Amino acid sequence: MYPLLARRSHLAVYLLLWMLMGILLAAILALLGGLPWTNALLGGLPMAVAYSFICLSAWYVARSMPLAGTGAIRVVATALAAAAVSAAMWLVLGRGWMVLVATRWPPAQGARTFTAIQTLLFGAGVLLYLLALAVSYVLVVYEASQEAQRRGLQGQVLAREAELRSLRAQIDPHFLFNSLHSISALTTADPPSARRMCLLLGDFLRQTLALGGADRITLSREVALIENFLAIERVRFGDRLTVAVDAGNAGDCLVPPLLLQPLVENAVTHGIAHLLEGGTVRVTAGHDGGWLRIVVDNPCDPDRPKRGGAGVGLANVRARLRALHGEEATLLAEERSDRWYVEVTLPATAGEPA
Amino acid sequence: MSGDALRVVIVDDEPLARTVVREFLKHHPGVAVVAECGNGFDAVKAVTELSPDLMFLDVQMPKLNGFEVLELIGRHVPVIFTTAYDQYALRAFEVHAVDYLLKPFSEERFAEALTRARGRLQSHEPVPDIDSLVADSRPKSGPVERVLIRDGSQVHVIPVEKIDYVEAQDDYVCFKAEGKQYLKDQTMGALESQLDPARFVRIHRSYFLNIERIARVELYAKDSRVAILRDGTRLPVSRAGYARLAKLL
Repeated sequence: MYPLLARRSHLAVYLLLWMLMGILLAAILALLGGLPWTNALLGGLPMAVAYSFICLSAWYVARSMPLAGTGAIRVVATALAAAAVSAAMWLVLGRGWMVLVATRWPPAQGARTFTAIQTLLFGAGVLLYLLALAVSYVLVVYEASQEAQRRGLQGQVLAREAELRSLRAQIDPHFLFNSLHSISALTTADPPSARRMCLLLGDFLRQTLALGGADRITLSREVALIENFLAIERVRFGDRLTVAVDAGNAGDCLVPPLLLQPLVENAVTHGIAHLLEGGTVRVTAGHDGGWLRIVVDNPCDPDRPKRGGAGVGLANVRARLRALHGEEATLLAEERSDRWYVEVTLPATAGEPA
Repeated sequence: MSGDALRVVIVDDEPLARTVVREFLKHHPGVAVVAECGNGFDAVKAVTELSPDLMFLDVQMPKLNGFEVLELIGRHVPVIFTTAYDQYALRAFEVHAVDYLLKPFSEERFAEALTRARGRLQSHEPVPDIDSLVADSRPKSGPVERVLIRDGSQVHVIPVEKIDYVEAQDDYVCFKAEGKQYLKDQTMGALESQLDPARFVRIHRSYFLNIERIARVELYAKDSRVAILRDGTRLPVSRAGYARLAKLL
């Protein structure tokens, strides 16, 4: 839809400008054409209004022939041809109109005829059309940039929604089912422990919900969350699971929330859970030279079934890092002599939690 | 079953999960827990040695999962699966599980499963051949990643990439891996549906070869070739076997 026709106020301004143009035209007709003012105004104003609509076609020319990707000669030739055709059409219409006006109010003797100034009018028509075309090009470019901006915003909203969805998906429901089953066992076997487990689980879920909404949190808060998670898993796995978490000098660094949680969950479900004797999940962090480095490692069974779901959590973490830091953040995951080793490196930013 | 206690084995890697089963069983007279196992190896050993009447079996465990335990036991012991995962229910049904309890489960639901198990034991239903059932359900889940072999009450787990070749020996197949050999009560035909066809080629009626082990193939006589492995072992290659090999290499 033509942008001027979409809004009434814009159209009014446009027509007003053309009215001024019409007065100018009337002046030309009166002074150079020697017509009486009545005839000049009656002829000039409607002609201006008619041309204002003919010039609207310039927008379609501008849109169908983008400046980028079209040869300069072709652009100039098309513009001139469109301008000439429009001006000629206008003159024919104008002439007819003037004749009609003249039959009602015959001009005084000695007035020059319309024909005498039609070369001048043709030139003016061509120039006006070219002006309209130039304005149309500006409008097309402006519209394109608006559209790009709108799409960019829409993209951001979609990315944010996907992020939240993936956050929710990161908490494995089976972790909850198994924890509830442990509580079911403890209610008769060890009631105080059952209560403790309920509190741990409640804390963990509350932290997850609270942190999920934040953009960035301090590493200490993320570490508190995974310590809570590991405390619950320790109730389930007993002596098989031990934990060593050390945030080092990086406690104040900011990280996306629940960045480490899926890595630690993998360490338990795909690492420790496959070992008869269990082992230690180790989380260490440190920052130097503007980089924050976090390592999650755990012993693993080299003969474990490899077709596990570990890839999903890892891919999620990788995608989030990429979305937030682009090429600056890296995630390395590999098996090193019966240990599973995941290293995350991202630009270190310190500050209060968002 | 009257008079004799129902002899039960509980298999779960989480001590608290075993506690739940043990506690719920207390309220059912005539049931004796003969073993509690924290992993699949112990479960295979316990079932081999104790021949229980019923087994409570977790699915996700270290070393061997619940289905692998069933495959290794090789004969039918009524099983009640206990797991937090609902996605194994179909497979559990395929191996004729008595019931499938989703953690956390109630005492009423547990009692129902136990009643169903007693019913199954009293009716003396014909025992389905677990081997064929497990084999049947295999192709849907793709080729195996590891081969499980039971040697008495001991279990060997061989990752397929460590297998050099497999040789038919009467009613058995013999796996050669890392200088050792393991006998398994299986047919070459059943094995064919389990091995990854991109890795193992049937070079002869009696041989599957891991193509990564092959060094070269030599002409041995008219229409017969011999495959020489990296460690120098020589294996016969039939005409059809050579065609299959050539297609893959």
